[in-house]
Amino acid sequence: MKLSRNWLKQYVRLYASAEELQRAITFLGFEVEGVVDTRFTPLEHVVVGEIKTRAKHPNADKLSVCTVDVGPAHGGVRTIVCGAHNCDPGHRVPVALPGAVLPGDFHIKQSKIRGQQSDGMMCAPDELGLGGEHAGLLILDPAAPVGAPLHEVLPEGDVIFDIEVTPNRPDVLCHLGLARELAAWLRYDIRFPEIRFRGETRGSRPDLLADISVQAPEDCPLYVGIAVAGVKVGPSPAWLQERLRAVGLRPINNLVDVGNYVMLELGQPLHVFDARKLGGRKLVVRRAGDGERLTTLDGKERELNASMLVIADETRPLVVAGIMGGLDAGVDETTTDIVLEAAYFRPQSIRATSRRLGLASDSSYRFERGVDPHGTREAAYRAIDLILETAGGTVVGPSFQVGGDRPWSREIQVGPAFIRERLGFHISDEDMREALQSLNLAIVGESEDRRGGPTWTVSIPSYRTDLDRPIDLVEEVLRIHGTDRVPAAPCVGPALADGDDDPVAVFNRRAAEYLVGQHFHEVVNYTLRSQRELTTWVSQAAAEELALANPFVDDQSHLRPTLVLGILDSLRLNQSRGVPAARLFETGRVFMELGGTVQECVAAGFVICHQPKERAWLGRPEPDFYSVKRQVAVLARQAGLELADADLAPVRGSFWGWQEGHSAAAGEMRDGWTARFGLMNLAMIRALGIEGKVWAGVIAILPQRLTGAAGRRRYRPFSLFPAALRDLALVVDAARPASDVRARLVAVAEAQATAAFRVEAVEVFDVYRGQGLPADKKSLAFALSFRSGERTLTDQEVNAAFAKIQQEIAADGSIVVRS
Amino acid sequence: MQDTLNALLAQARTELAALTARADFEAAKARYVGPNGAFTALMKQMGTVPKEQRPAVGKLVNEAKARLQAELDAALARIGEAEIAAQLGPAIDPTLPSPDAGPGSYHPLTLVREEMCRILRKAGFSVVEGPEVETEYYCFDALNTPADHPARDAQDTFYFPERARFGNVTKKVPDERYLLRTHTSSVQIRTMLKGEPPIRIVSPGRVYRRDTSDATHSANFHQIECLYVDRDVTVRDLKALLDYVFASLLGKDTKTRFRPHYFGYTEPSFEVDLSAQHLPKVNKEWIEIGGCGMVDPAVFEGVGYDPAVWSGYAFGMGLERLAMLLYGIDDIRYFYQNDLRFLRQFA
Repeated sequence: MKLSRNWLKQYVRLYASAEELQRAITFLGFEVEGVVDTRFTPLEHVVVGEIKTRAKHPNADKLSVCTVDVGPAHGGVRTIVCGAHNCDPGHRVPVALPGAVLPGDFHIKQSKIRGQQSDGMMCAPDELGLGGEHAGLLILDPAAPVGAPLHEVLPEGDVIFDIEVTPNRPDVLCHLGLARELAAWLRYDIRFPEIRFRGETRGSRPDLLADISVQAPEDCPLYVGIAVAGVKVGPSPAWLQERLRAVGLRPINNLVDVGNYVMLELGQPLHVFDARKLGGRKLVVRRAGDGERLTTLDGKERELNASMLVIADETRPLVVAGIMGGLDAGVDETTTDIVLEAAYFRPQSIRATSRRLGLASDSSYRFERGVDPHGTREAAYRAIDLILETAGGTVVGPSFQVGGDRPWSREIQVGPAFIRERLGFHISDEDMREALQSLNLAIVGESEDRRGGPTWTVSIPSYRTDLDRPIDLVEEVLRIHGTDRVPAAPCVGPALADGDDDPVAVFNRRAAEYLVGQHFHEVVNYTLRSQRELTTWVSQAAAEELALANPFVDDQSHLRPTLVLGILDSLRLNQSRGVPAARLFETGRVFMELGGTVQECVAAGFVICHQPKERAWLGRPEPDFYSVKRQVAVLARQAGLELADADLAPVRGSFWGWQEGHSAAAGEMRDGWTARFGLMNLAMIRALGIEGKVWAGVIAILPQRLTGAAGRRRYRPFSLFPAALRDLALVVDAARPASDVRARLVAVAEAQATAAFRVEAVEVFDVYRGQGLPADKKSLAFALSFRSGERTLTDQEVNAAFAKIQQEIAADGSIVVRS
Repeated sequence: MQDTLNALLAQARTELAALTARADFEAAKARYVGPNGAFTALMKQMGTVPKEQRPAVGKLVNEAKARLQAELDAALARIGEAEIAAQLGPAIDPTLPSPDAGPGSYHPLTLVREEMCRILRKAGFSVVEGPEVETEYYCFDALNTPADHPARDAQDTFYFPERARFGNVTKKVPDERYLLRTHTSSVQIRTMLKGEPPIRIVSPGRVYRRDTSDATHSANFHQIECLYVDRDVTVRDLKALLDYVFASLLGKDTKTRFRPHYFGYTEPSFEVDLSAQHLPKVNKEWIEIGGCGMVDPAVFEGVGYDPAVWSGYAFGMGLERLAMLLYGIDDIRYFYQNDLRFLRQFA
């Protein structure tokens, strides 16, 4: 919101500099987004000159040689070389004489320009520090006396502050409002504009306005309508136009301008009707009919509904109440009689209608935040003064007020001790009292609190709708005291025994630490993905479940069910930019389906890209499924999960973008976690435009499944006796999972070992297919290790057990011991 | 005898010198000193030597045995050395690059987040996480943001359709909508509803705004917030925390200041400016860095804390903005493009 320093000065003395004012506004709580200072700082040796002659510079196409009269006191007519296009004879212009110092420390001297004597400089606005573009000389009023110091003939200028008013302070959306704040800060008195009109009318003209009825008093508790007959529409006086222009409004005509002026002065939006356009000479404040239409001033036809408040005449809506007028009943050049509207509309109603119509205005902006519920009538009277002053006319009866000023009486009980307790530092009672009173927060009563200190009864003015509770006054005191004066202190606080980091944070940190240690680069991608991706990579069902109701752009319309899609984006971007990228990872939330609901999961994922044509002076083996399996197993452990071989199953089809036969899945969402890893589908990766083979692993875990630090481990003693080792090769169906064979072997071996010793390890050390075996068979070689906690095992007992194991394992016929 | 021994030794010396493999050596050794070895055979003949000659012959044989052992030891040492040399292969060139993957790297947002968490943990805060899909209650209602507040507009907030069901985020109010949280303050509410004061938490996380992406805006970004609830928490305590945090982050000469502001969930509310030396690409004295304030009594009432007993402060800031300030990054989109030339700079 733009506010003019000159305008503010009508209500409060402002001796402070623009910088000081900016600081005051800032520390009152209104961010200053811009300051435009159009005031002229007086410059010595810069005077009014009149151009007498202009000739082309003999040695330069774009320069002119002028003679300029700067008055007898400054040496009369001088020769000055000028580059501006508008240095025409007759113009009076600013002339910087030798000895002048222009902004930017630019010293003016007598000089020769391309061989021509130049005895000063004629100036453009920017050269004088007046801002604006460099578009030729500043042309002065033809009446400006030649030889006069420039600052005596320039207009006063102004400082315009563009400030952000927080939504809790609608009372500052006007000059009087900010003036009140500045008066508090500067401890000056506020001067209210004098309002002469007190409601008196001359004669009754029901032919202009016969009736106002409010059919929706809950949304419009107060409506004032005053008729003025015999106005003359025309341009506003210069002072009024200047005020509006200064804050960025275009003057239209005296009636419209007065409405805007009063809104910007007092914060109360007003509306002016052409009385002759009111059907039935009536104004009706009612809800719109469903489907009722109104073309607003911006030329758009609006379809209204029964939730919206309108101001109508007998037959049709004229104004979307508090938001924007219609084209039909506004004032124009022919208007002679008017009705001025001032109302209080319920903020929630205006806000809802404005949102629903996608229509906002300076008026709705104020109504939806809440105007002073007691200022409505005064604002109407102020406007009547200005209408009579600028457009003439007579106020005629009957004048209408429907509803009353909103009842307002608010007092807050607060004690200085409470304020000090909340602030944590000392401000004296006297300073607090002064701070409150400077804001027109009068202390109207004083009593003793339980501790013997004073409790104040503070009366809240009607425009401060934001002040309701004692804590609100803590802020007011601190604001006036200065929020930048909060004293320094040591940072203290309790050490809380239950203050462990969230298991989710712990998992993310551990996963990242591990993967960075494994030479992965961490990437961060958007959570939102496109529908097309989800249907291609995951499923139609996922695309439906994960959709946003109101996406902003098409390619960010769905929650991500996996981190892989984003990581592949990062991989592709690097490849396309010629940046080698082999190992990337990400941690973050993903969204997975479980039992008809979507579950927000904690996730970690990585990719390893191998491009065979990469050149290296020393070769390294290609990564494979089993390298990825290790990484995923470690990630699972970071989450307190074991990736048991028995739970692993090959991924079928190209679901989620995996390559069948080269990828696996573990865990189920109903157990609280799932992992997938292996080779990404080669065709899909190629279709993405990524070169090479991509291995990937992802793990998603329900946050509630993460328990954080495992309980403290207990030590278990271990055997100091040597192990006995035996190798055993087993021939099984080629399709049979190794984990299945191993599980069977472990069971058999443990049954044989029984009490005498333990089976310490059973590990696959060789897998063989080919010569010597049928095509559909494979041989798995296992290393078995036996150990006792009490003694060294004898060959005899181990051999006996091993023989039994070989016999037992072959018992069901599906496993043959290879000799 | 002397001649026989000399011949045997000469033969052994020649034969051993030619050996290069350990197995050949063992075989050769067996041929001389094994149970059926030539030297062993000579030893066995000692019994047939006449008694008077035995001392002399014995001396000869012992000398020869020692010489033979020395030959064997030398050969074995030579073979051992050759084996090690073979294991080693040619010498390396230390200046050739390693073909293995280079060092990994943390994303700058992670680095900044972890640094903030580390600083706050020292001050007694612990890290808390919450869901990114939230309900209107946790994101708005409980934070004193009324139903018709502009911040809740579908224009600014991502909502989910009526039919959406989220398994691990429960609606507090039956007809409220699911949404993507617009700030991490929802985690404060969850924490307060779950436990009792004193509370001292920091909640970093991803948040969403329905906004155009450009150099300073992103469809999702990250915030970090802290909340402290206890008896007698004051504005001065809040200032003390911020002074501590930014001095830890940017050095002892760093200053912070409050400007009054408005947030629905704190009263009084402030924006925080900081002033620090040596920040890249910053030529203003004061830079806005975050928002903070004293927890509004209405928020306490909503979570069942008595505002007459408990007071507290909250502080929040954008992680991207902080990272941009710290590292001198001028476009937020770099964080999400993941060009390795960008990422590696912060490792």
